[in-house]
Amino acid sequence: MSAVEVRLEPFGGVVLSAAQRERLALLADVVVAGGAGMPSASGAEVHTQWIDRVIAVRADLAEAVSRVLVLEGDPDEVLAGVRAGDPELFSGFAFAVAGAYLINPRVRRELGYPGPAPMKSPALPGEAEAYLEDGILDVVIARGPIYRPTPGI
Amino acid sequence: MSSKDVPDVLIVGAGASGGVAAKHLAEQGFSVVVLEQGDWVNQSDLPGLRPEYELLGGGPWHPNPNVRQRPEDYPLNLDDSSAVIGMFNGVGGSTVLYASCWCRAKPSDFRVRTLDGVADDWPVSYEELEPYYRQVEYDLGVSGQAGNPAYPPGYAPPLPSLPINMAGRVMAEGMNKLGWHWWPGYNSIASQDHLHQKKCERYGVCMYGCPQGAKGSVDVALFPDALARGARIETGARVARITLDENGLANGAVYFQDGEEKFQAAKLVMVGANGIGTPRLLLMSESARFPTGLANSSGLVGKRFMTHPFGTSVGLYENDLEDWVGPTGEAIESMQFYETDASRGFVRGSKWHIIPSAGRPLGMINRFTLGEGGVAEEPFWGPAFTDRMKSSVGHLIEWMIMPEDLPEEHNRITLDPSMTDSDGLPAAKVAYTTGDNTKRLVDWNLQRSLEAHEAAGASKAWITSRNNPSWHNMGTAKMGDDPETSVVDRWGRSHDVPNLYVIDGSVFPTATGVNPTATICALAKRAATHIVETRREQEVSTA
Repeated sequence: MSAVEVRLEPFGGVVLSAAQRERLALLADVVVAGGAGMPSASGAEVHTQWIDRVIAVRADLAEAVSRVLVLEGDPDEVLAGVRAGDPELFSGFAFAVAGAYLINPRVRRELGYPGPAPMKSPALPGEAEAYLEDGILDVVIARGPIYRPTPGI
Repeated sequence: MSSKDVPDVLIVGAGASGGVAAKHLAEQGFSVVVLEQGDWVNQSDLPGLRPEYELLGGGPWHPNPNVRQRPEDYPLNLDDSSAVIGMFNGVGGSTVLYASCWCRAKPSDFRVRTLDGVADDWPVSYEELEPYYRQVEYDLGVSGQAGNPAYPPGYAPPLPSLPINMAGRVMAEGMNKLGWHWWPGYNSIASQDHLHQKKCERYGVCMYGCPQGAKGSVDVALFPDALARGARIETGARVARITLDENGLANGAVYFQDGEEKFQAAKLVMVGANGIGTPRLLLMSESARFPTGLANSSGLVGKRFMTHPFGTSVGLYENDLEDWVGPTGEAIESMQFYETDASRGFVRGSKWHIIPSAGRPLGMINRFTLGEGGVAEEPFWGPAFTDRMKSSVGHLIEWMIMPEDLPEEHNRITLDPSMTDSDGLPAAKVAYTTGDNTKRLVDWNLQRSLEAHEAAGASKAWITSRNNPSWHNMGTAKMGDDPETSVVDRWGRSHDVPNLYVIDGSVFPTATGVNPTATICALAKRAATHIVETRREQEVSTA
């Protein structure tokens, strides 16, 4: 398996081959196995669609992916070895996989986010007051000033 | 060039202080030129509305210029610094990416020597600064609740408070159980349409730049007024040195633009390049008259660097708090432990505030994998990952513990002997170690924050980080009355060069325990006001 082509300029892109994507699917599922009603990394298309969005904007993470993809062997054992021997590399690879996973709209929906990206959530009329209208601030005010006055010094 | 063609004022840096000064001076009829090494930020380029916004915030929009590596960024040598540094170079400066927490310093912050026997009193008082706080709060659309007993009476932000949201409410109930102070947060984020600022739509991505234009970043809130009154901004203009005439008065600056060396003349020079960029520029401006750096007869330029190496804790809560709803600034804050209590084993204190955590889901990784109290040793990856995310996204409240950081002369900014920026100018070298008082202060407050989580009903709470980069760069051109122990006077004017002002956080004698932007802006407003009021007595260069 050849190394991933990494452009050297900051935040450049990379191109993964089909074979590399297959390998990434196996490795990524070790990082995000799925459960709690949510898909695994490969089930969330991390290795096909979403990893490209990550490595397009983060050359540092592209390099971590590249370095892990060239390691041969059982995916569990490979990543256990990386984690023990090079924690920084493991963190970079896991962060890339998690980053790809968490920008999948389906995953965001499963986590409760209202949309595929940050969205407007304008305050309703009176919303700010509603949080306070039962007098929750009264006890704070009743305790009186808590600053140290400094007039004349 | 005849004297009438020379602008009245040259401002170096288009950040918070530069924006305040440019607007005020231009509106008072001064001719103003601003040199800014970065560019304007196009709102449509901001990453906040893209799915990968958090990844972009860790790369090309990272607060650390060494990571960001834009052409306009100058490198920082952080080999001798325990603090990671943040700043943004562009029109708006770091306000483009800041969370917009708006915190006035408290009266005791200005009298720490008198009250606590440490560091130095400021040459100004809270009462003297208060009118300027009020003016910049209006200009920057500060939203908040009047009547906070943590401040002297009369503090009433110009705009109504933003909602404290569910996370703020849950924690407020917990704080009430403990009898601890809390208050709805203050944010320079407009809760309703205000001047140039649009009403906040609560995207929750303030730290990636506001896509709505609701935040009081000075490129949005202040510079339009300055430009409308004739001020001019030169972007891509990296200042190499401030120049002096034969009488020792500042007469302009040499800068690089597109690789070409240029000169901008001025009658008066103001520097607002942040607590690292300002001492860097003053040190680069050495001359026969000032061999150790411009305005450095005290030897203090670059020394006493302070930051706020803050800590964080989180709690897990059963209810869905929808904690991705913005703004990112402050939902609530607490000043319960702000003032000195000697029995705690340290002096000074901390402001706490809550910011939405779910706006940064990738941030959950470090919250768990670096968590204290055994959390880091618990499974996170593999089968645990989805369970962790499901149980924490929207169910987690995060306290930020902002500590006072006392000045120490060995914490300093110098010019790096070998590292340079793209114009060949020396990089800034940062030497900083977190002081013992700051460490004890953060540790004690983090422990109290865990008690707050417990009182608020958290099923589990833990400390997630310490020594965070605050972007608060302060103290490196100290303000004071004595020219032997300070760089600038009470107005920000150099003791050595009577028409040179420093207007950013460099002038802070102490760090305070709150986010500094409010005080930076108030001091800049006060300095600009002073320049207008004393214009007839002001010495200016005619060369």
